[in-house]
This record gives sequence, C-alpha cells and structure tokens, in this order.
Amino acid sequence: MTVTTSLPSARRCLAPAAGVLAVVGLVVGLTAAGSPDVTRARVERSLTPSFTRLYVDQQRVLGHEVPAASVAARSACDRGGPQVADVGAGADWICLVDFTDQTGVHQQGKFELQVHANACYTAAGPAKLLGGFTIPDTRGRDVTNPLSAFDVCFDPDA
Amino acid sequence: MSTDAARGIRPGPGTRRAAAAPRRAGTWAAYRWELVKLAALVRTRATLATVLVLPPLVVLLLRGQRAPADTLFGRHVHDSGFAVPLLLLGFAAQYVFPLLTSVVAGDVFAGEDQHGTWKTLLTRSVSRSQVFWAKTGAAVTFAAAALVLLTASSTVASVLLVGHQPLTGLSGQSIPAPHAAVLVVGAWASTAFPLLGFTALAILLSVRTRNPALGVVGPVVLGLLMGLAGSLGGTGWLRRALLSTPLEAWHGLFTATPFAGPLVQGAVVSLLWTAACLAAAHRSLCRRDITGG
Repeated sequence: MTVTTSLPSARRCLAPAAGVLAVVGLVVGLTAAGSPDVTRARVERSLTPSFTRLYVDQQRVLGHEVPAASVAARSACDRGGPQVADVGAGADWICLVDFTDQTGVHQQGKFELQVHANACYTAAGPAKLLGGFTIPDTRGRDVTNPLSAFDVCFDPDA
Repeated sequence: MSTDAARGIRPGPGTRRAAAAPRRAGTWAAYRWELVKLAALVRTRATLATVLVLPPLVVLLLRGQRAPADTLFGRHVHDSGFAVPLLLLGFAAQYVFPLLTSVVAGDVFAGEDQHGTWKTLLTRSVSRSQVFWAKTGAAVTFAAAALVLLTASSTVASVLLVGHQPLTGLSGQSIPAPHAAVLVVGAWASTAFPLLGFTALAILLSVRTRNPALGVVGPVVLGLLMGLAGSLGGTGWLRRALLSTPLEAWHGLFTATPFAGPLVQGAVVSLLWTAACLAAAHRSLCRRDITGG
C-alpha cells in the first residue's frame, strides 16, 4: 500500500493508459464474439404463431369464430433483398405471410418489420387485406385492429 | 482486512478506537446516520415524491392522447391497465433508471468533498471501510425505496384509471388479468439488478471524481451511451455485457413461451458491474489521502 504513494510519475501516467487500453480491448473483443441475435429463422418462428393468434382475435372482433388450426399460416422473411444477409436489426425486413382466411380462401399478406437489436420487432400489416388502424366490432363500435401493427419479441438464445 | 492496512497509511486520531469498536455495530450505526442524513435532503424527498406522483399524472395525460406506438405496449394503453406500467417501464429503462439512483448515489460520497466534511466524518469512531459500506447501504436503500414506490404507483394508478382488462402479450397472446398483474410486478422487480449496478457505478464516480455533479450526471450519460450502443445491431456479446441491456430483459416474461435467458444473464452482468464498481470505489476511498477539507 505504501508503495503506491511513492509511485514514480511515469508509472502513474501509464496506469490509466493501460486501463483505457484494457477497456477498449474488452469492447472490441466482446463485439467480435458471439452470433447474431436477430436471424431469419427466429423472426419467422415468432411471426407465424403471433399472426395466427391475432388473426383469430381480429376475426372474433368482427364476429367470426375461426379455429387457429384452420388459419394454417406460414411466413417467409427477407431482409433488404437478395444482396443483404438475413440477420440483424433493421427496418428493411419484409415478411410474406401465407394463410387461409375465414372464408377458406388462400391469402398472402406482406408485412413490413422494424426489427430492433433487443430481439423485438414491430410488424405492420397490409391495410387492404387486413384492415386499417381500427375495425368495427359486432356492435358497430370502432376498436383497435390487432393486425394493423403489433409488437413481437423472441428469445435471442433459442 | 486490507482496509485496516489501508487505514494504516495515515493513522488519524479516531482510527485506534475504531479498531477496538465492534465492527458490525459501527457499520450499522453509521448506516442509520447516513439514512437520517439522506432523509433530511430535499432532493431525496423530492425524488421519492416525484416517483409517487408522476405516474398517475402520466396515466391521466395518456387517456386523452392517441396511443404512443413507438414503445412496447404503447399501442395497448387504452385497452388494458396492465399495458401502461409496461409502457412506463420501457420508457424509464431508457432514460430514468440511472438518474433515479444517481441522484443520491452520485452525491453520497462527493457531497462530503463538496462540503469539506470528510475530516469531521472520519474522526467518528468508525473506519473508512465502515463509512463506505454505510453510505453504500444508504444509497442502495434509497434506490430500492424509489423502485418500490415507482412500481406501486405506476401499477396501481394504471389499474385504477384504465382498468384490469386482459393484456395482449408479445406473441399476440391474451394474458388474463391476475397473471398479467404478477408479470407486471415481476418485470419491474427484474430491474432491481441493473438498478443496483447503476447505483454502484454512481458510487464509483462519486468517490473518484469527488464532484457531486459528475456523480449524478455521469451514470445518466453512461446509461444513455450504453443504451445507444446496445440498440446498434451487430455488437455481439458487447450488448449483453452492457448495464443497460438487463433493463429490457423482462420482455421474455410476456411471450407465449416465456424465456428467462436474458433475465439470468442480466442479473449476472449487473452483479459483476456492481462488484467491480464497488471494489474500485472501496479501494479508492480507503487509499485516498484525506488531509484537506
């Protein structure tokens, strides 16, 4: 302990520099390590069941009882076209969701996803196919459309 | 025991008696004094009053507004009273939590420098180490009190003013009211770990800079920088090592298949930050040459 009080000035200057270097090294090392949290498979795996639940919700609001199994949704996602790898956060994710609507007709909806680094995203649905911000319920009141836009989070470790 | 060796560097008039005094009782007495000092501060009372009063006001303001859709659960604030405390939590995680604790922890050591009271304080029959743990304990107590009040105020105000409708979760599933209430409280409680980390960070800055302003503002700026770094994609494990990331770990509670990985990682990361900051602050205080003031 007493040694530190009589440290030569050169060592006193070097100690903080070494500390800064250690922190910078740690930051660079951590940034380089690990695999991406946001991947195509995780986005698709989380979007399909979320869409299905919200579609069933929306149809219930509109007065139709639709069993979840009959929706038979599938999603195919892509980030930024064929040139960009389908990983990482960004507002340029597009997902095509294939599903069967309440009348039994096959439909395809294009969702625009804003994916965040925290493994959550906001999906905005096609208004023509799935309705706007509000929809009328069975009693004619305007209520929030569950499919207009919705938030989903997924496990970055799964 | 290294602290006794550290005190040996500059033996003051009180140190000999401190060694003879029962250690636990000394820290406990000092801790109670620190709490009395904190309770007398206008800033402490004002902060606690604010966290109690502000959430109901925000809930009232939100009622007349279009739902804020840019934060998680924002689009559901008119549909369920359980969405509002989660919107507030998401907002607080970005801007409020570091300040909530640094307003006290950033000042608790540096305030003695500012008022030149270190010498008076250290003539009491407690060691520097005991003073350190007493002040740290007081700062942690304040942070815990602020978190409990903020949680209670946000949740109770939202449920009373908006209602206890089922909550739409983060996989589009509907969460029934009693379960949603448990999850909301759990989500707020999960931020106790990073809040402890920010408290330790503020204490470190408070000890090292000896400047209350830097101690209070430093953790806020560092918290914002860490949040910014975490929101950039492609940072690998850096994101998980940041102290701001555990503030978002509660998202996993609200999916259809809940996941606890980020919560566990966040708790470990927060405790590592806490241990590192407190160790550095303790070492710095015990080795400091306190002759002026």
